[in-house]
Amino acid sequence: MNELNEDEEKRLLTEAVKLDATVFGLILGLIIGLIIFIATNWLIIAGGHVGPGGEVIIGPHLELLGQFFIGYKVSFVGSIIGFVYGFAAGSIFGTLISWVYNKIIYLRNTNNK
Amino acid sequence: MLTRKEDKKVIIIGGGPAGLTAAYELNKSGIRSEVFEKDDIVGGISRTVNYKGYRFDIGGHRFFTKVKVVQDMWDEVLRKDFLLRDRLSRIYYRKKFFNYPFEVKNAVFGLGIFNSLLIVLSYLRAQVIPIRPENTFEQWIINRFGYRLYKIFFKTYTEKVWGIPCSEISSEWAAQRIKGLSLFSALKNALLKKPPADKNVIKTLINSFHYPKLGPGMMWEKVREIVEEGLCRVHMNSGIEKIYWHNDAVLAVETCKDRTTTRISGTDFISSMPIRELIAKLEPLPPSEILKAGDKLNYRDFITVSLIIDKKTIFEDNWIYIHDPNVKVGRIQNFKNWSPYMVPDPEKTSLGMEYFCFENDEFWSMSNENLVDLAKNELEKLGFAKKSEIIDGTVVRMPKAYPVYDEEYKKALEQIKEFLGKISNLQLVGRNGMHKYNNQDHSMLTSMLAVKNILGGHFDLWKVNADQDYHEEIKENEQLDKQLSDLSSTQPLIPSAFAMKKSSGSLIEKAIIRVFSRLDKFAFAVAVGTASFLFLFLATIFLEFKGDQNIVQSMLLLNNYFVGYDISIKGAFIGGGYCFLWGFISGWLFAYIRNLSLGFVIYKEKKKLENQSLKDLLDYI
Ligand SMILES: Cc1cc2nc3c(=O)[nH]c(=O)nc-3n(C[C@H](O)[C@H](O)[C@H](O)COP(=O)(O)OP(=O)(O)OC[C@H]3O[C@@H](n4cnc5c(N)ncnc54)[C@H](O)[C@@H]3O)c2cc1C
Repeated sequence: MNELNEDEEKRLLTEAVKLDATVFGLILGLIIGLIIFIATNWLIIAGGHVGPGGEVIIGPHLELLGQFFIGYKVSFVGSIIGFVYGFAAGSIFGTLISWVYNKIIYLRNTNNK
Repeated sequence: MLTRKEDKKVIIIGGGPAGLTAAYELNKSGIRSEVFEKDDIVGGISRTVNYKGYRFDIGGHRFFTKVKVVQDMWDEVLRKDFLLRDRLSRIYYRKKFFNYPFEVKNAVFGLGIFNSLLIVLSYLRAQVIPIRPENTFEQWIINRFGYRLYKIFFKTYTEKVWGIPCSEISSEWAAQRIKGLSLFSALKNALLKKPPADKNVIKTLINSFHYPKLGPGMMWEKVREIVEEGLCRVHMNSGIEKIYWHNDAVLAVETCKDRTTTRISGTDFISSMPIRELIAKLEPLPPSEILKAGDKLNYRDFITVSLIIDKKTIFEDNWIYIHDPNVKVGRIQNFKNWSPYMVPDPEKTSLGMEYFCFENDEFWSMSNENLVDLAKNELEKLGFAKKSEIIDGTVVRMPKAYPVYDEEYKKALEQIKEFLGKISNLQLVGRNGMHKYNNQDHSMLTSMLAVKNILGGHFDLWKVNADQDYHEEIKENEQLDKQLSDLSSTQPLIPSAFAMKKSSGSLIEKAIIRVFSRLDKFAFAVAVGTASFLFLFLATIFLEFKGDQNIVQSMLLLNNYFVGYDISIKGAFIGGGYCFLWGFISGWLFAYIRNLSLGFVIYKEKKKLENQSLKDLLDYI
C-alpha cells in the first residue's frame, strides 16, 4: 500500500494527464451545441427588428451559420438542428484536440525513455 | 515436525508485551509454553515500577492502537481497570508552556513581540529561500518552520533524545516519521469529506488515550496471572544465556538462575530479547559476519529518576517536553495525571524525570545518589519545586530502550534476517526482538501472528508495521482467508475518515490522478492550435467553393484581426495560421491556469497534511 501510494503520488505530481478523447469530445460537443441552442432561442425570445420590406428579421448574423449547417435557421426547430450540428462539430473539435494532445504526450514519453 | 497441539511446547524469551502476548495467545489455543524473563518484574519496557507505593513507567505508556485485536486483548484483560484519560502534554520553554500538538500561533505569541518577529522573518526566509538539497533533519525542519522555530522547538529536544546533532540525522527519517498519511489520502479526504461524527472520533483519539489504573505494568502482571493459571509457566530472574541450535532448528535454551544453569528444550521458540544479544548467545556461534552484523545494531538507553514531591499540584499535563538547553532532562512525566491511583497520597506528586543516554556513558555511570541530586537541581532550576520540597527519589536504568536506526543497521538486519530465516522453529517478535522502533501494539501483533504461524499460518512478521499497511494486505490475501477468520478483526481501528476501502479506493485513486494530474501545456497548446487551424481552414475552403456572398462578406470581417485573410486557398492557410497561433496561446494559457489552480489545491492539501503530522512530531522523536 505504501509503495502504491508513493507511486501514485509521484504520478500525480509528475505525470501529464491523458485526455479521454471521447469524454473531451462529448463535453466540447455539448458545450458548443448548447451555446447554439441557447443563443438561437435567446434571439427568438428577444425578438428581431422590422426590415425595410416590413419583414421581421431575427438574428441575421447567426442565421449565416446555415451556410455551414444546412437546414439551420433562427427558429426553435433551427435551434434543435443547430444543437445537433454544434454537438457534432464540437465533438469532432474536442476529439481532434485530445487526439493531437495524446499523440504529443506519447511522442514525448517515448522520446524520454 | 510435530503437528499435534498437545505435543507442542513453546519456549518464549522475554516477559515483556511481546513475550506475554505470545503466552496469552498460546494459552488460549491450548498450547503449553514457558516464558523466561531475566528481570524480577514483567512488562519489559512497559513495566510499572513501584517505589514505596508510588508507581512509575519507563516513559509514560499510552495505550493507543489502530489494531482491533490488540485493543480487544487490552479490554479483555483490564476490563474496568482500563481508564480513558484526557491528554495534555505541552512544551516547556523559558518557564512558559506552549501548546502541543504544535500550534505555530501559540508558539509565536508565547515568545514575545521581538522573538515573534524574528520567527516570522526566519519562517518567511525559509519559505522563499529553502535549503537545497534537503539532506538533514535540521534542513528538513528549517525548510518547514524556519530556523528560529527549529532551534526552539526541535533542535534541543531531538538532540537530547538521540544524542546526535540534528545536522547528522538524515532528512529521510523525519519524512518517514511525518508520512502518517499520503498526499493522496489527504486529497481523498478533502474531496470526500465525512460527516462530523468521524471528526469527533479523530479528536477523541488525539486528545485522549487509554491507560491501566495502575500503569502499564498492571496489564502485564494480569496477563502473567492469567497464563499461569493455564498452560504457561513464567520464570522470573531467568535470563537466557545460550540458545542451542543445529542445522535448521533450535533445540533448547539454557537459563541461569541462582547460579544454577538449566537446559530446557521445546518444539518452537519465540524470542523478544534484543537481536544483538540473541546472536551472541547462539550455540554454536553463527558465522563471524553474522556476529559482526549483530554488533552493528545499536541502542539508545534511558534513565528515569523518579522524584516524590510534597506538593499537591505541579502541572496539569500528563507529561511535558523540556526544550530548555540548560538542563539535561528531556521529558517530565506526572504520573498522577496519568492515573490518580499511581500515587498513594493525593497530597503528594511523583514526577518521572527522563534522561536519554548511552549505556556506559558518563551519565549512565553516575551513581544513583548523584542522579537523584541532579534531577532535584534541575527541577528547581525549571521552577517546578524547591529542593526542600522533594522528599525522596529513585533511579531506574533501562538499557536498550530505543533501537537506533543508523546508517549501518539496515544492512546488518537484512543479513541477520536471512541467517535466522533458515532456523525454522525460531521466530523473532517485538521491539528489540526485531530491532523495530515501535510501540506495544506492534510487539503484541507480531506475537499474535507468531502464534498463528505455530498453528500452521504463514505470516511474515517482518512485514507487520506500526501503521495499517500490512494489516490491509493480510486482509486482502485471499489464500490466507481461512486462517484469518479469527484475525479478520485486525482491521485497523483508524478513524474512518481515513479508512477508505481499497476496492473503491482504487477507483477513486484513478479518478484523482486523472483530475489532478498536470495538463501538458505545450501539447495542449499545439492540440488546440491544430484543431483551430483545421476549423478555419476547412470553413474557408468550403466557402471558396460554395461562394455565397452573404457569408463571404461576414467571414471577410475576420481580416480585421487576421491581416491578409480572404476567402481563397491562400487565405485559408493564412487564416488557419492565425487560428493556430491564437489557439496555441489560448490552449497554453488554459493549461497553465488549470495547472496552477489545481497545483494550488494540491499544495494546500500537502501543507495541511504535513502540518497535521508535524503537529505531533515530538511524539515520534
Ligand atoms: C520512553 C518510552 C516510551 C514509550 N511509550 C510508549 C507508549 O506510550 N505506548 C506504547 O504502546 N509503547 C510505548 N513504548 C514502547 C514499548 O515500551 C515497547 O514497544 C514494548 O515494551 C515492547 O515490548 P517487547 O516485549 O517487544 O520488548 P521489551 O519491553 O523490551 O521486553 C523484552 C523483555 O525481554 C527480557 N529479556 C531481554 N533479554 C533477555 C534474556 N536474555 N533472557 C530473558 N529475558 C530477556 C527483558 O528483560 C524484557 O522484559 C515506549 C518506550 C519507551 C522507551
